[in-house]
Amino acid sequence: MAREHLLKIGVSGIRGVVGGFLTPQLACAFAQAFGTYVRGGRVVVGRDTRSSGPMLQHAVTCGLLAAGCEVVDVGVLPTPTIQIFVNSTRARGGIALTASHNPPEYNALKLFNDRGLFFNHYERNELLDLYHESEFTEATNDEIRRVLSEYETPPRLHFERVLKHVDVEAIRRKRIRVGLDGVNGGGSVMSVRFLSEVLGCELHAISVDPTKPFPRVAEPRPDTLGELAALVARQGCAIGFGQDPDGDRLAVADETGRVLDNDDVLALVVDAALERVPGDVVVNLTTSSVIDDVAAKHGRRVYRTPVGEANVVETMQAVHAAIGGEGSNGGIIFPAVHLCRDSYTGMAFLLDRMAQTGLTVSQLAAGLPRYYRKLGKVAFEHGRLGIMMQALEDSFPDAPRDRSDGLKIHLPEGWIHVRASNTEPILRLAAEAKTESALEGLYGQVSSLLER
Amino acid sequence: MREEKQLRISHVGLRGVVGAGMTAAHVLDFASAFGTFLGSGPVVVARDPRASGRMILEGVLAGLAACGHDVVSLGIVSTPVLQHAIRRLDAAGGISIGASHNRAEWNALKFFGPRGVYLSTAEAGELLDVYHLRKFDFVEWSRLGTVREETGAIDPYLDELAGAFDLKALRRFKVVVDCCNGTSSLILRRLNERFGWNILLINERIEGVEFAHEPATNARTVSLQLAPLIRPLGADAGFLFDVDSDRVAIATDEGRALSEEMVLPMLADYLLPHGPGKLVITNLSTTALVDEVAEKNRGRVIRVPVGRQAAMDALQSYRPEQIAIAGEGSGAVMMPQFRFVYDGIASMLAILSMMLERGRKLSEIVAAYPAYSILKAELPLAAQRIPELMASLAERNASGRVNLLDGVRVDYPGKWFHVRVSQTEPIVRVIAEQRGEPPQDLFDGVMEHVRSYL
Repeated sequence: MAREHLLKIGVSGIRGVVGGFLTPQLACAFAQAFGTYVRGGRVVVGRDTRSSGPMLQHAVTCGLLAAGCEVVDVGVLPTPTIQIFVNSTRARGGIALTASHNPPEYNALKLFNDRGLFFNHYERNELLDLYHESEFTEATNDEIRRVLSEYETPPRLHFERVLKHVDVEAIRRKRIRVGLDGVNGGGSVMSVRFLSEVLGCELHAISVDPTKPFPRVAEPRPDTLGELAALVARQGCAIGFGQDPDGDRLAVADETGRVLDNDDVLALVVDAALERVPGDVVVNLTTSSVIDDVAAKHGRRVYRTPVGEANVVETMQAVHAAIGGEGSNGGIIFPAVHLCRDSYTGMAFLLDRMAQTGLTVSQLAAGLPRYYRKLGKVAFEHGRLGIMMQALEDSFPDAPRDRSDGLKIHLPEGWIHVRASNTEPILRLAAEAKTESALEGLYGQVSSLLER
Repeated sequence: MREEKQLRISHVGLRGVVGAGMTAAHVLDFASAFGTFLGSGPVVVARDPRASGRMILEGVLAGLAACGHDVVSLGIVSTPVLQHAIRRLDAAGGISIGASHNRAEWNALKFFGPRGVYLSTAEAGELLDVYHLRKFDFVEWSRLGTVREETGAIDPYLDELAGAFDLKALRRFKVVVDCCNGTSSLILRRLNERFGWNILLINERIEGVEFAHEPATNARTVSLQLAPLIRPLGADAGFLFDVDSDRVAIATDEGRALSEEMVLPMLADYLLPHGPGKLVITNLSTTALVDEVAEKNRGRVIRVPVGRQAAMDALQSYRPEQIAIAGEGSGAVMMPQFRFVYDGIASMLAILSMMLERGRKLSEIVAAYPAYSILKAELPLAAQRIPELMASLAERNASGRVNLLDGVRVDYPGKWFHVRVSQTEPIVRVIAEQRGEPPQDLFDGVMEHVRSYL
């Protein structure tokens, strides 16, 4: 039986099930470690709409104040909006309380540096050591600072940055009919404002009440967005957007109500971005080869990184990429707005593209090269992982491979990527091929090898 | 210079110098312990203006919400206002964040049960056990408590005071108050606004880091700024409150700073004839004037060990109508008509009512009491020598009436002394009192004996 990870304290921060696992004590201590690490100063704190958010925000605020930080409470907001606000104010860092696409019983602390970026690998290790040493700054009465509130500025700053890169007037003139599923998340209020007021769309929105629980599986994927698909079809929308609870991920439905594969969404946005901004592309190892084709069309290079937003962002910084992201999970990263996953950039680029070309979403998607993809997972017992991966290596002795995150094997008909999950004892499989039968053959071969 | 303890966890709650002793981790654990200890129901929370109060408040809110308690957060208000709100809202309990008469760098958590009463010793012991075990009843994510802010808690509190005192008649007095930058300022400003009073406030700015002076209620602090103002302003009385307004100290119309010991005897003298309660509950270190006043009014004094906890336990041994008043020589006084809450503002109104009823100036009322002289000192002492010291003191003074309830108290005709160990600091307190002249010989003798154990 696979062990469920109800609490994980690691280099990516702290994440767990609220109740007996992610306690206010842990959140407070981690925040105090963070406050100690950034040496006081101003720290921005915001959250998504999970019911545990307010409790944890009190605990985090307590820990930050105890470390001598000034706390700026930005309330319920999407994670990218919080990151952009950290980046545009003189803050020493930021903490977002969100478990992103995870189920509602989970919550987590996402930690940002003074530029509003995820801590890099070395910073994360230092912070974790500091947390374990428990030698925190303990501010005295005359060193304890204030809690300020800032609810209006962060969305405005975020919108300003996004709108610089699209033709707002052209979009507004089209008065595009848009469907939205906000999952009652941190972007609910902001997305309604963005689409209807700022971009002048005719908006048909569901699940945009931040006081209500998540009405569906929080991760926006083709299989979780049935309601959005129905809404788009019923209202005759030209496009439908599905967000996750912290507004960093985006899924898209076309005008027929079909939810696009997230890799294709990324490809459309990469295409739109490269039209406007010159530069290379960075995606993770699991992202579809469709990105390579799109980049090649613009004469640009694609860099591949291990899975994880922080990894993609680190490489994007290093190669000064124009755009990047992670296909399967709907993450679009456009550095000219900010080096973070941002559903608002994605929405704006797609609407802009529709306005410029006059094409429908299905027509735009049809313009992409066709690949067949399959994702899956295989549970493994502790101690067996090495043997399984070795068996996989041995069965494709001559194929080019990438070992930077699990194992990715390139074959003439496509590729297969196998990696262990960070949070569960399972192997994640991703395969892609030019034809459906090649895909089935490849996937079947690998999965039967691993399950043996 | 003695080293002050920077953290104290006891039946009275959590208290310490923030940063140096008391940390966010203590606060989270104590709030979670209290949330676990309490039955279900909402909890009311308030704080005094200390800057550290905001940090502590956040931790308290997190701990209580994690245990599934809805919280009503009153912001910066006095402890008596909090206690009143607990009863008004029929809450399961409350937490007061504030260090009362201590300096600004201190802070503390005080815990209240239903109806706003302090926890009994037995309940406080249970809370401490939960705290030390650190096994908290955290609820699952969908049942977490929510926090509601309520900013108007002072008004219903004032309404209750208006029901017990003739606020219209009392406003004829010209009153000056030293707020010590604390919560009394908020209450008295509202009293001025709503009831047409004209109290002149000094040090009325709510301040989190540096108080105008030490916020203790005693003759020394009254004489700093308040007493010198009384005569030039032609005021009838001056009052000084500690930061959380549960204690009061007094200046007369002649600008004299009264000993803090005077508050309890004066109020006993005022309340005993009003009956029906005939008991005065106080501690072993409080002035003998209270015995004299009680005797005159056919009341009886019950002496208990020093400290809030002993007084609370004593109160529970009697029916409310048996009790006229309870308090200590520090200016902390509770009256049965005010829920047995130490309440400096109610004490002020009772003193003014006494002046009104008697038609006398405050200085005339004070002059009618015989003079008592009190001498006090404190000395550091190694804990292991304390029992020896106490035993020898009792033995040497066997000719007097010896009371061993809390250290050693010995009564001689017309004078007494009390030697006890502080609950909050590693020191021995020596106090001696005599009707009339200071009991210098008695005091010196005891001090010499105590010093021989240093």
